Amino acid sequence: MMTIMEVSTLTTIAFWAASAMTLGFAAIVVTQRDVFRAAIALAGSFLGVGILYFILSAEFVGVVQILVYVGAISVLMAFAVMFIQDIASGSRPAQGRLVGAVVAVLIFAALAFTAYNTEWSSMDDITDPVAIAALTEGFVEVGTGDEITILTDVSQGGNDLAIENDGVFVDSTGAIGVMLVRKYMLAFELIGLLLVAALIGGLLLMRDPKSTEEPGPVNGDASV
Amino acid sequence: MTIENVLLVSGALFAIGAYGAVSRRSLITVIMSLELMFNGVVIAAVGFSRFTPAAELLSGDPLTAEAIRSALTGHVFAIFVTAVAAGEAALAFALVFAMYRATESVEITDASEMKN
Repeated sequence: MMTIMEVSTLTTIAFWAASAMTLGFAAIVVTQRDVFRAAIALAGSFLGVGILYFILSAEFVGVVQILVYVGAISVLMAFAVMFIQDIASGSRPAQGRLVGAVVAVLIFAALAFTAYNTEWSSMDDITDPVAIAALTEGFVEVGTGDEITILTDVSQGGNDLAIENDGVFVDSTGAIGVMLVRKYMLAFELIGLLLVAALIGGLLLMRDPKSTEEPGPVNGDASV
Repeated sequence: MTIENVLLVSGALFAIGAYGAVSRRSLITVIMSLELMFNGVVIAAVGFSRFTPAAELLSGDPLTAEAIRSALTGHVFAIFVTAVAAGEAALAFALVFAMYRATESVEITDASEMKN
């Protein structure tokens, strides 16, 4: 039986390759003077992060990352660069570059120190046999209600799938959907409200100020 | 690949973004750096979801579907952060355009006053 924490060598190599891609493109983003090239490098960095999500067994988050970041935000960045004319002068570094570098190194040192000096609880701490079965060998089907089905019968194709997906859900997308509309219902609704507010705010800010003067009363007693 | 490695990559991405946010003068590059920082945070959330157990699975109570599902809390967190970041990016660019229209510049040193 594979333990939950076990990770194959190939996965580890893929992890470091995707990390190198992400961090390399990110370094280009913050050092490149040409803003358009920085936008392209940003798309590459987002793609690397998306690959990292797939390696971390978060398929749904990976797909969302590629749709939202690589697909939408990168295009938004490219449009912004093309709209603004004087971008040709490039993104000059500000005066506080040295201070920024020192602060960034300190932030990284603090985070790395914390990561390596904390006793993180491990998946191996789980003692409940049903939970272990659910997370390792079982082809877990968590229904919409409280029913749990653990299929360990190889003839049903459960075991092969489970070993490939050890430590994670086979059907993570469905479980995320159920969580969104149950446990996190309020946050889900608030996110919708936030996106509508952002949409209206963006439209309002982008409106041409000249066209906002609507034909008001002729005597002009009500104008702002 | 352990949780420490994932947190290392996450911290490195966050630090690179932080450096870009303070060291660049163009507002567009600053926003790009902010997006990099968002991504660093989300990598940490997904990494925790992959490598550390949910509290409900350690408690020893009879297992429910709810408890098993809570192993995916980090993924839900990631989706919420992504949604907020997308809204933030759209609004930030609208502000940059408004500033460009008012001052013909997108340099952060020219953004010292809000009135136009």
